[in-house]
Amino acid sequence: MNSIERVNAALSFEKPDRVPVIAQVFGHAAVLAGVSLHDYVRDGELLARCQIRALRRYDYDAVFALMDTSVETEAAGSILTYPRDCYPYVASFALPEISKLEGLSLPDPRKDGRMPELLKAAAILRREVGDEVLVVGCVLGPLTVAMQLMGAEPALYLAIDQPERFERLLDFSADLAIRFGTAQLEAGVHLPVVFDPSASPAVVPPSFFREFELPRLERLFTALKQAGAAANWLHIAGPATPILPYYPRAGVDIANFDYCVQASEAQVAVPRTCLDGNIKPLSFVESTPEAISEESSALLDRFACRGGFILSSGCEIPPEAQPENVAAMVSAARGRGVNIADSDRKTGKRGTPNPIHLRPLSARYP
Amino acid sequence: MDLLVKALLDGDQAKALVEAKKLRVAGVGCERIVTDGVEAAMAELDAKCTVEHFNLLEIMLAGRAVMGVLRELYPPMDPPPVTKGTVVIGTPEGDVHDLGKNVFKAVLTAKRFRVVDCGKDCPIETLIETAEREGAVALSVSGLITAVIPQVRLLRERMRERGLEHVRLMAGGAALKQASAESLNVDFVADTAFDGLHYLERITGGNDEQH
Repeated sequence: MNSIERVNAALSFEKPDRVPVIAQVFGHAAVLAGVSLHDYVRDGELLARCQIRALRRYDYDAVFALMDTSVETEAAGSILTYPRDCYPYVASFALPEISKLEGLSLPDPRKDGRMPELLKAAAILRREVGDEVLVVGCVLGPLTVAMQLMGAEPALYLAIDQPERFERLLDFSADLAIRFGTAQLEAGVHLPVVFDPSASPAVVPPSFFREFELPRLERLFTALKQAGAAANWLHIAGPATPILPYYPRAGVDIANFDYCVQASEAQVAVPRTCLDGNIKPLSFVESTPEAISEESSALLDRFACRGGFILSSGCEIPPEAQPENVAAMVSAARGRGVNIADSDRKTGKRGTPNPIHLRPLSARYP
Repeated sequence: MDLLVKALLDGDQAKALVEAKKLRVAGVGCERIVTDGVEAAMAELDAKCTVEHFNLLEIMLAGRAVMGVLRELYPPMDPPPVTKGTVVIGTPEGDVHDLGKNVFKAVLTAKRFRVVDCGKDCPIETLIETAEREGAVALSVSGLITAVIPQVRLLRERMRERGLEHVRLMAGGAALKQASAESLNVDFVADTAFDGLHYLERITGGNDEQH
């Protein structure tokens, strides 16, 4: 099986040759290649080269055309500061006052900010790995976009003080995510992960998620599927257990769960959804390969009967991670391989099969 | 007083201000409004916000209402005379996230700690100098990215060099709370803002000190 087939099997709750392993390696690919984060997040070709190099080193099942959480807001007009060895951050927000929302235009992914560089990275990665390895793009979820456009506190206060205006901002943010995600699919990603840390129950209560965010996520995921996304992957870090049951309604096919969510809780919350997780990110910096290997094995055991699992970290593997720790997680999955000729390959089938439908490479971003 | 507590818990700043003003007009002292109103509301919020059921928004809203009431009761030129101690807080250099730190500030202020906020992206030398200058009982750092961990580990030694061994070191935030206190070389790692508050109340004995 190649990586795509393996992920496809996990999505369908069929038995893959081994459990797919997706290390959430973003900036770590730059550090590994001796490139500054400052350059990595601004140069699509460099980003793609670093990702390919990391793929060759670790041999996992996905590469990421992903820069940071400020791509959307910069394209919409925010001014960023770019430290040399950290991800950029917003120095001046595109939307200092909500009254200016009507004057804000949706960015054009082919022209604005670093979006064209990200699309370039997506196209190169797809060209390099074809349909052997999953190429994952990234869009921020509507709530996270809104908070990146205004600043976290002003956006949250707006939600309470002027909910109708906040909803208009969320709709704008969802439109932005749809436009950017569609462009990424056209550029060559198999799917964009929807990264929505601000929707975590650590930040907003589940009722807020249900009322404000869920309808927009539903719209976003429907649009991404229509645009050719192979699957819908939602990534909300933190204690997400109370909102996991809403994921199927939003159209989520792959649900990330962070280290603070018990695997057993996640399994109960979304019994028919493929889960990915959940090794503690800091462990990749501070732990040992033996401990990572042990934790990976425990997760593989826990999902052995259920299936529908991608071994991963709970959130981004920090840029400063120890490479041997990342390798240990990948080895743990590879060491559990089975012969795919096993006659019981499909006996683990549960839930509704949800196969990946590959789309051809875009002619627009060859 | 019950109406003030309810308004604070609802995060309704306008109503909380109205109720606080009514209490003042009725002759209720500022200190009683703080202890029976503001602190009572925070205690209720504390009981509700367990590690499993803790979200920043709810506390932000209550915190905003609390800060509005405290500003009304104690204008900048006339600060509260008694506090439980001074706590210096900040986000270390390289980290620009401050939502959690700001919530912690509101919680501590509502519980009558004096908080000196060094802001975000703050060099640790500034944090230490501020702790020394302000006579802090504790220095608390918050971090959302793991890259700040090496700076946090330096704090203890740098504090010792300045004779500040008595100042307790605390850490919190999504990145730092993945590590143990021992690993960070601090005295306490808080899971939530209230967890941090409880620690401070333990080390200060919950007693007021003259400021």
